[in-house]
Amino acid sequence: MKNDGFFKLAVIVGVISWMAIFAFVPNILVFLASFSSTSTQNFIEPGFSLSNYARLMDTTHLSILLSSLRLSGLVTVICLVTAYPFAAILARTRKPLRNTLLLLVVIPFWTNSLVRTYAMTAMINSSGIVNNVLLSLGIIDTPLAMMYTPGAVVLGLVYTLLPFMILPLYAALERLDRRYLEAARDLGASPWRAFWKVVVPLTMPGIVSGCMLVFLPGIGMFYVSDVLGGAKAMLLGNFIRDQFLTTRDWPLGAAASVTLTVLMGVMLLLYWKSAARLGGKEA
Amino acid sequence: MKRLVLTVLSLMLATQVLAASKELYVYNWSEYMPDSVLADFTKETGVKVIMSTYDSNEALYAKIRMVEAKGYDLIVPSTDFVARMHKEGLLMPLDKGKLTNLSNLDPKLMNQAFDPDNTYSVPYMWGSTAIAVNTKDPAAAAITSYADLWKPELKGKLLLPNDMRGVLGMGLKRLGYSLNETDPVKVAEACELLLPLMESVRVFDSDSPKQALLNNEVQAAVLWNGEAYIASGENPDIRYVYPAEGFSLWVDNLCIPKNAANVDNAHLFIDYLLRPEVAAFICQEMGYSSPNLAAQALLPEDVRDNAIVYPAPEDMALGEFETDLGPAVKAYEECWMRLKTR
Repeated sequence: MKNDGFFKLAVIVGVISWMAIFAFVPNILVFLASFSSTSTQNFIEPGFSLSNYARLMDTTHLSILLSSLRLSGLVTVICLVTAYPFAAILARTRKPLRNTLLLLVVIPFWTNSLVRTYAMTAMINSSGIVNNVLLSLGIIDTPLAMMYTPGAVVLGLVYTLLPFMILPLYAALERLDRRYLEAARDLGASPWRAFWKVVVPLTMPGIVSGCMLVFLPGIGMFYVSDVLGGAKAMLLGNFIRDQFLTTRDWPLGAAASVTLTVLMGVMLLLYWKSAARLGGKEA
Repeated sequence: MKRLVLTVLSLMLATQVLAASKELYVYNWSEYMPDSVLADFTKETGVKVIMSTYDSNEALYAKIRMVEAKGYDLIVPSTDFVARMHKEGLLMPLDKGKLTNLSNLDPKLMNQAFDPDNTYSVPYMWGSTAIAVNTKDPAAAAITSYADLWKPELKGKLLLPNDMRGVLGMGLKRLGYSLNETDPVKVAEACELLLPLMESVRVFDSDSPKQALLNNEVQAAVLWNGEAYIASGENPDIRYVYPAEGFSLWVDNLCIPKNAANVDNAHLFIDYLLRPEVAAFICQEMGYSSPNLAAQALLPEDVRDNAIVYPAPEDMALGEFETDLGPAVKAYEECWMRLKTR
């Protein structure tokens, strides 16, 4: 018993100090940096001003933010639409096969995602596999220009982030109590209606966490835009990286990063508020 | 139990110490040093080389500042950044007594204003930034100057370096200014000129621009000569053009960061790189020009006479070396952000 308590304490202290050192403190530093200014001697001059946020509000910076949100939104929708049926089938598959399928979802993580992004170029460049197949089948005469386009960035992001959508959806769908569906059928709901009124609300936590896990990295994965988009399509992640590495305007980069965090926080809050209200009504 | 723990701990410490004296952390440009050079060095000296890479001086500089010149034992900044990093106390003076092969280097490239007496740096390789074209494409084959890149026929067929000085230098040269222009008005003028060119750019790449050229994704590419050398070796249709307005020359230098841990190994490796046969091998593999006179003598004729590796004197006369911009770099950075976020 005594040992049990010690183990518990050790785990809790371990987790809390891990989070404090690697998540909380760095975020506080970024937050503080976003109010500072920069000089030639130091990347960060301590102080307090809102000028970095004011600079973010100019039209070029806003247009980067908006186009990045749009791109990542599109990626999230594509991931959701493709992952949902997959996760539903997965949740209904019998044990040995299901484990194999789950393993197949996870296997890509064994390879570094940057390497997988480079592998993607071998698929879609002018002399790549896709073009060669299409050319030899006579479907096209000249190679399609797929590399270095916004579409290539979307493809790369969907490819990299899809498992992050599948896994939470699978967890939610697997827990779904089938008796609710039977009750819906008994009460005369069509399958379509049962899906929208029963399955979707019950799996909403999985949908939301999947969307969060795809949307936020989708804004930040600058190397996908560098490798597949030709370093032209600016994600907010590219902008932040450039502020830190190229122009060394750390306060502006920090302000952009804080803005993103706040944006995500607000979206989560809205979701919780609306979920609580809906839940309250039903009860 | 306690003794066992102590033994394990001291063993770990011992391996740490041993490992520390047998390692070398190199931070270098991507595609700038053949792997076999590292392997041969390890075979000869037992020192294990761990290499990581960067694609711009700015990234190198930000990283070295961030880690306070610790963690890496050897870096390869271009001249302008040697000056800046030494001014900011980020570099360690070299121990020339340990560099027995220093006399192999071309005196013309030594003792320059950015580092008098080569206190902090020795040149590794030098080269040019100019235009590689695929002559199969008529619009690309007709290119003789930077101004030609603005032609509408090249729209979507162009690769530019993902490098601030490289791109701004094109605009400044087209206007007849110096690559090292410090007048913000002239820099802004170059910026306006470059803005419409961004429409033509298919890709920005400083890591491996030859790939896009060889894969036929682009027909013209502003890149470093070593990339053009390798590309032209694989596809004879690829030619390297020194633009009529002039172009950029640069020298990359071996330096030791101020707080490096494996200083002796770094000197050992620098001296190894200065050996004529090693320098000649690197030059042949990478296609950049070697500052090593003894190595030049060892080069096969087709490399020594290759205009991509060693430009002819009349081309050389159009080249200009990049220098440190000082505070004027601010105007460059603002323009670069404008171009990239357009």
